[in-house]
Amino acid sequence: MSPVLILIFIFCYVPMYGLLISFQDWTPGMPFMDFTGQTKWVGLKHFSTFVHDPYFWRLIKNTLVLSAMNLGIAFWIPIIFSLLINEVRLVKFKKFAQTASYMPYFISSVVVAGMALSFLSSDGIINKFIMMMGGEPFLLNMKPQYFPIVYTVINIWRNFGWGSILYLSSMASIDPTLYEAASLDGANRWHKIWHVTLPAIKPTIVVMLIMGVGGMLGADSDMILLLYNPATYEYADVIGTYLYRYGLMGGNFSYGTAVGFMISLINFGMVYLANMVSRKVADYSLW
Amino acid sequence: MTQILARKKHGIPNGSRLVDVLIVIAVAVICLFTLYPMYYVFIMSISKPQDVLAMNVSFWPTGFELQAYKKIFTDSDMWRAYGNSILYTVSTTVLVIITSVMGAYPLSVPELRGRKYVVAFVLLPMYFGGGLIPTFLLMSKLNLYNNIFAIIVPASFNIWYIILTRTYFTGLPRDIRESAFIDGASNFTVLRRIYLPLAKPILAVVSIYSIVTMWNNWFAAQVYLPDKNLHPLQLYLKRVLVAQTVDLTKLNSADIENAMNQMLSATQMQYAMIIFTTLPIIFTYPFFQKYFIKGVMLGSLKG
Repeated sequence: MSPVLILIFIFCYVPMYGLLISFQDWTPGMPFMDFTGQTKWVGLKHFSTFVHDPYFWRLIKNTLVLSAMNLGIAFWIPIIFSLLINEVRLVKFKKFAQTASYMPYFISSVVVAGMALSFLSSDGIINKFIMMMGGEPFLLNMKPQYFPIVYTVINIWRNFGWGSILYLSSMASIDPTLYEAASLDGANRWHKIWHVTLPAIKPTIVVMLIMGVGGMLGADSDMILLLYNPATYEYADVIGTYLYRYGLMGGNFSYGTAVGFMISLINFGMVYLANMVSRKVADYSLW
Repeated sequence: MTQILARKKHGIPNGSRLVDVLIVIAVAVICLFTLYPMYYVFIMSISKPQDVLAMNVSFWPTGFELQAYKKIFTDSDMWRAYGNSILYTVSTTVLVIITSVMGAYPLSVPELRGRKYVVAFVLLPMYFGGGLIPTFLLMSKLNLYNNIFAIIVPASFNIWYIILTRTYFTGLPRDIRESAFIDGASNFTVLRRIYLPLAKPILAVVSIYSIVTMWNNWFAAQVYLPDKNLHPLQLYLKRVLVAQTVDLTKLNSADIENAMNQMLSATQMQYAMIIFTTLPIIFTYPFFQKYFIKGVMLGSLKG
């Protein structure tokens, strides 16, 4: 046990101590804290710089747009898919469809991004298809406003099957006598979906949705870092990618730490709130 | 009424055949949407180079040519990255199994004093942390920058896996432990002799999660390993596929040089590279699938 606790302490708690530099003008080589006056405390300077940063609203907007598209569109696909799968009677086909749908989840983000960029390139399959239909070729760098859509489609492709596992497993635990009773009462397929299946998975949907709202600012920057470039920054740059590019790569350590600190505080507060709501509404909580 | 009963007897739910067919078609279309991109990459990688160049491949491979594969096999950078990835994946997975069991066992023991605080200490970092830059500075202070241990050590434990394992341990009957103690066994013996053999399914879940995560990870290496010789496969792939700073068509291949070879396009080489590097995951995946699903279900239980 104790070696594990030490590992957790070093790699999870010590970095929290490093958050101190967000209140300083820290440069490499300086201690995080000392009493000889070496540390240049600047209070909330970096936080206020970020809020007044010309990019601030762009970053917030992009982060929220991507999260909103994720919650508004991508979130519902696994639910619809699992409802469809649940109605399939051909056992072998059902198994095949499930196996196929999980598969993209295991492909690395680098490969997924590489495939997407290749398909979308000027001589890629998507433009070949568009031109065949007589349309104008689509280049993401020329039309950066489509970035959120491209990103959402990729997300759906990669995650919908995986996301459906949770719903399918709660459907599997529905008491079959409920369906039989419904049939005896003359319920047809739609009635059964509406009055038996959906109510059974509703708690799961509610919890996932609340947690999704709670995590809105924590958008995963892994895929965006691979897909975006200076031409698409305007619509693709989110807090996580800005932190990496400007804070870490740009060597703006104190400023970057302040940005990260601020966002993770807000995020933590939102998850905490979401958890409270979830406990009240769905009687489920993370802790 | 009798009709409904009769249908049930034959296992046919009530609902029209037509709807059944429509549902199957809808699911089939979704499967097509899911599988086609991967299938397309595959057929592009084995089709005739001329057809790939002319974008004449859509549904069936035209011919069966392996030049693209032959050529990427001569790429020593790829092989080195492959080796690095195997090293990082295997070492972290072994460590993760050890730390998950070691971390989970005491948390599952009801008698542990102050257990509540230990659990809080373990759980808190799942929701709040120092973030990218403080972690980076810590790693540089520990002299782990540009050192393979920057990849291995932080990935040697995972709080989520510890919680999963703990959930599993808590579900084991308590009597076995108690009777072992009556027989004079120590905690260590109980862990090694009783819990470990019983924990095989959950350790399978944890190791497979760890393998896939490590195999697919590129970000940690991007941040901590500037030395190209230490790069894992995914980072090498990133240079080939995303940044396109590596031109595979320029690979030295004097021994298999021929006219056909000259026609290999960058796209085809990239697709061959995708297939070759994703194969291990795709092929092992059907066997691993059930463990993944088990992990999702265990995870949805309250930790």
